Amino acid sequence: MILIGELSLWVALLMAAWGTTAGFAGAYTGRTELQASGERALYAMCGFIVLASLGLWTALVTSDFSFRFVASFTSANLPTPYKLTAFWAGQAGSLLFWALILSLYSAIAVYTGRKSNRELMPWVVPTLSAIALFFILTLCFGANPYERLDFIPLDGRGMNPQLQNPGMAAHPPNLYLGYVATAIPFAYAVAALITRRLDNEWLTSVRRWVLVAWFFNTVGIIIGMWWAYVELGWGGYWAWDPVENASFLPWLVNTAFLHSIMVQEKRGMLRKWNVTLVVSAFLLAILGTFITRSGVISSVHAFAQSSVGYWFLAFLVLAIAVSAYLVATRLRDLEARAELESMVSREASFLFNNLLLVGIAFSILWGTLFPILSEAVRGTKITVGPPFFNQVNIPLGLALLALTGIGPLIAWRRASVPNLKRQFTGPVVIGIVVGALVVALGMRAVHAIIAYALGGFVLATIIQEFQKGIVARHRMYGESFPVALFRLVVRNRRRYGGYIVHVGVVVLFAAFAGLAFKKELDVTLKGGQSYEAVDPYGNHWRFVSQGVSQYEELNRLTTAVLLETWRNGKHVGVIKSEKRQYIDSNKNFTFEPSTEVGIMSGLRQDVYVVLAGTTGDDTAEMRITFNPLVWWVWYGGLIMAIGGLIVTWPQAERRKAQAGYATVLEPQHERARAGA
Amino acid sequence: MTMDRRQFLGRLAASVAVAALPARLAAQQATQGTGAANVPMDEGRYRPVRLPAKSSTPSMTTDARDALEHRIHCMCGCNLDVYTCRTTDFTCPVSPAMHRDVMALVAGGYSAQEIIDAFVNVYGERVLMEPKKEGFNLAGYLAPFVALGAGGGLVIALLRRWRRPAADAATVEPLPVDATPEELAKLEALLKRDDQ
Repeated sequence: MILIGELSLWVALLMAAWGTTAGFAGAYTGRTELQASGERALYAMCGFIVLASLGLWTALVTSDFSFRFVASFTSANLPTPYKLTAFWAGQAGSLLFWALILSLYSAIAVYTGRKSNRELMPWVVPTLSAIALFFILTLCFGANPYERLDFIPLDGRGMNPQLQNPGMAAHPPNLYLGYVATAIPFAYAVAALITRRLDNEWLTSVRRWVLVAWFFNTVGIIIGMWWAYVELGWGGYWAWDPVENASFLPWLVNTAFLHSIMVQEKRGMLRKWNVTLVVSAFLLAILGTFITRSGVISSVHAFAQSSVGYWFLAFLVLAIAVSAYLVATRLRDLEARAELESMVSREASFLFNNLLLVGIAFSILWGTLFPILSEAVRGTKITVGPPFFNQVNIPLGLALLALTGIGPLIAWRRASVPNLKRQFTGPVVIGIVVGALVVALGMRAVHAIIAYALGGFVLATIIQEFQKGIVARHRMYGESFPVALFRLVVRNRRRYGGYIVHVGVVVLFAAFAGLAFKKELDVTLKGGQSYEAVDPYGNHWRFVSQGVSQYEELNRLTTAVLLETWRNGKHVGVIKSEKRQYIDSNKNFTFEPSTEVGIMSGLRQDVYVVLAGTTGDDTAEMRITFNPLVWWVWYGGLIMAIGGLIVTWPQAERRKAQAGYATVLEPQHERARAGA
Repeated sequence: MTMDRRQFLGRLAASVAVAALPARLAAQQATQGTGAANVPMDEGRYRPVRLPAKSSTPSMTTDARDALEHRIHCMCGCNLDVYTCRTTDFTCPVSPAMHRDVMALVAGGYSAQEIIDAFVNVYGERVLMEPKKEGFNLAGYLAPFVALGAGGGLVIALLRRWRRPAADAATVEPLPVDATPEELAKLEALLKRDDQ
C-alpha cells in the first residue's frame, strides 16, 4: 500500500498536469473531447491522491521509520489515534492533506455542477486542476512525505506534545476544509470572468461552496481556540497571533460575501464587489498558508515552517496577477443597474456591514504585516500584539454587533418611520435595560457594558423575529408553538438559520466581554498548605495542595499537583494540573516539557490552574486564573455552527415543489395516455 | 474603468517592486531564529536591564507591576508578554530573568514609564507589546481607521449615486394599471412579504 501510495503521488502529478493542459486547451479551442479528457484527468487525479494519502496513513500506523516524515512526527509508542492525526502534524503531510481535500472537493464540484453549470465547467475544471497541480508540485519537489532516510532509525522523534490533544485531531482538518473550499468559488469566479457569464447564475453554485467554507472555517477556528485554551496554558483562547489572524481573514471576507450576495440576488447590485470578495477569500486562504508555512512572522501556531512558504508566495503573486487581470478587463461586464430607493434600507445596511467586515479584515491584515513594513521602512523591529488589535478591533466589532441587530429588521428598498418604530422600540428598550442592569451590578468596563447592551438589543431583535413568525404560523395554520417554530426554521432555513448564527455571535460577544473580569493569581503551595481567594463574582474559594506527585504513563513522565477545592465552604472537587515530559520507547526525552492545564469548568466561569514549576520539597508554583464565561465561547461557536448547518442544508421546498409538480402532472399524463 | 491587456500589464509592471519583498522576508526570517513557543527557547536573547536604585521604596504595588509586565514582550521568541510567559511556561529561561529585572527596577523606585524606557534602551522597540504611538507607527494605528473612513465615504457616495435614478423615476407619471383596488392591495401585500 505504501509503495502504491508513493507512486500514486507522481501519477497524480501527471494527471493534474494533463487536466490543466487539456482542460485549458479544450476550453480555449472549444474542443469537447479535450474538455472531457481534462475532466476525466481531474477525477483520476482525485483517485490517485486518495491512494497517496492512504499510503501515508499506512506508513504512519505501521511506524515505517524509513520515511523521514514518519520518523519526524511519530514514535513507536505514540497512541494509534495520534499516529493517524500525525498526517497533518508536519509540512509534507499537511500539504498532502490539503491536496486530498482539494481533489475531493474538485471532483464533487465538477460532478455536481457538470449539468447545471455546463457553460462554466470547461474553465472550472482546468482552474481547479491548476491549483491542484501547484500543490502536488510542491509536494513532489518541495516537501515530499515519501522522502526516505539514508538509514532506518530504531524509533521516531515523536509528536510534538502540544499536538497530542483531541483538539488537534479536529482543528486542522476543519480549518483546511474551510480554507480549501474557497478554491471552488475562486475557480467559478475565474470561469465566469473568462467567459464573461457574470449573471447571477454562477453565484448560486458559489454561494453553497462559500457556505461550506464558512461553516468549516467557523468550526476550525472555534476548535483551535479551545485547543489553545486547554493546551497552550496561557489562560486565553485568542492572542491575535499571526496564524490565528490568518485563519480569521477568509472567514471575515466569506461572511461579508454571504451578506452582500443577498443584495445581488434581490436587487442585482454589487456584482463587482461580490466577485472581488470571492477572489479575495481564496487569496487570503493562500496568504494564510504562506504565513503559517514560511515563518516570516513568528507565531505560536507555526508547527511546520520551511522554504515551502515561498512556493506559496510565488503562487499567491501569480493568483493575484491573474485575478486582477481578469477583474480589471471585465469591469464593464460587471456593471449593474443599481438603484436605491432609500438610504434607510436593508441593502444600505448590508453595505455598511460589508464595510465593517472588510475593514476588520484589513485592520487585522495590516496589524499582522506591519512589523515587516516597519522593518522595511525604518529598519526597526517592532511587536504588534493584542493591545494593538484590541484597540482597533473592539470598536469595529461592537459596531458590527449593532448592525447584526439593525440589518435584518430594516425592510428591503425603503424603511418607513412607523416601520422603524415598530421594529426597534422593543429591542432598543431591552438593550438599554440590559446596559443599566450590568452597570447596577457593578460593571465599570465601558466596552463590556456596551457589548452587553448591544447583545441584549440584538437578541431582542432576533426573538422578535422568531415570535412574529411563530405567531403568524400559529394563526394561519393553527400549529402549536413548538411545531410552528420547527416549521418556521425548516421552511425558511436561510433566514432563520442566519438568525441562529446571529444568536451565536451575541453569545460569543458576551463571552469576550467576560474577559474584562478575568482574575490571575500567582500561588506557591507546599503539600498541605492552603490558599484563599475571591473570584470576580464575589465567591470565596479555598485551594488545598495535596502535594506534588511524579509518575510514568504511556509515552510520558508526569509531574502533577492536586488541589482540593472549596467554594463558599462547599467542597466542589479536585483540580489536577500537570507538566509532562514526553519520552520515546527507549525512555529518551523528546521535546521540551509541556503543560496540561487543570480546569474546573462551569457556566459562569472556569477555574484555570497552570503548574508553572515545582521545587524538591513538595512545593508547587502555580498560576490560578478565574476566567469568566469561557464556556460561552464554545456554546457560541456551537450555535453558530448549528445555524451555519441549517443555512447550508439544501432547501426542502425545492423537493416539495417538484413533488407537487409531479402530482399535478400525473392526472394529465394519465388522461393523455387514456386519450391516446 | 475597463482596461485592456496592455494597460493591465503596464500597471502590473509598475508594481514589480513587490519582487523585492521575498528578499526582505528572507532576511527577516534568517534573523528571526526560533519564532515560536513550540520550539526551544533561546536563552541568549536575554539582556540585563539594570539601573542604580533611586529610592528604597518600591514604586508600585504587585498588581501594578503585573500590569506593567503585560506591556513588556518576552524576548524568548514567543508572542507572549513577560507576565504570561513566566507564569505559563517554566521552560522559558528568558521571562523569569526579565521579571527579576522588572522587580529590581520597581524596588529601586523607578516608575512604569522609566522601566519601559529602560527596556526599550536595551532591547529596542520590539520589547513593547504594542508599538509606541509616534512617528511611522502612527500609520499602523491610523491606517485601519483612515481606510474605514475612506470606505465609508465611498459607500455613502455610492448610495447617493444609486439613489438618484430612483428619485428621478419617482417623478415619472405612473402608467395606468388595469387592476381593482383589491388586486392592488393584494399585490402590495405580496411585495411587502417578499421584502421581509
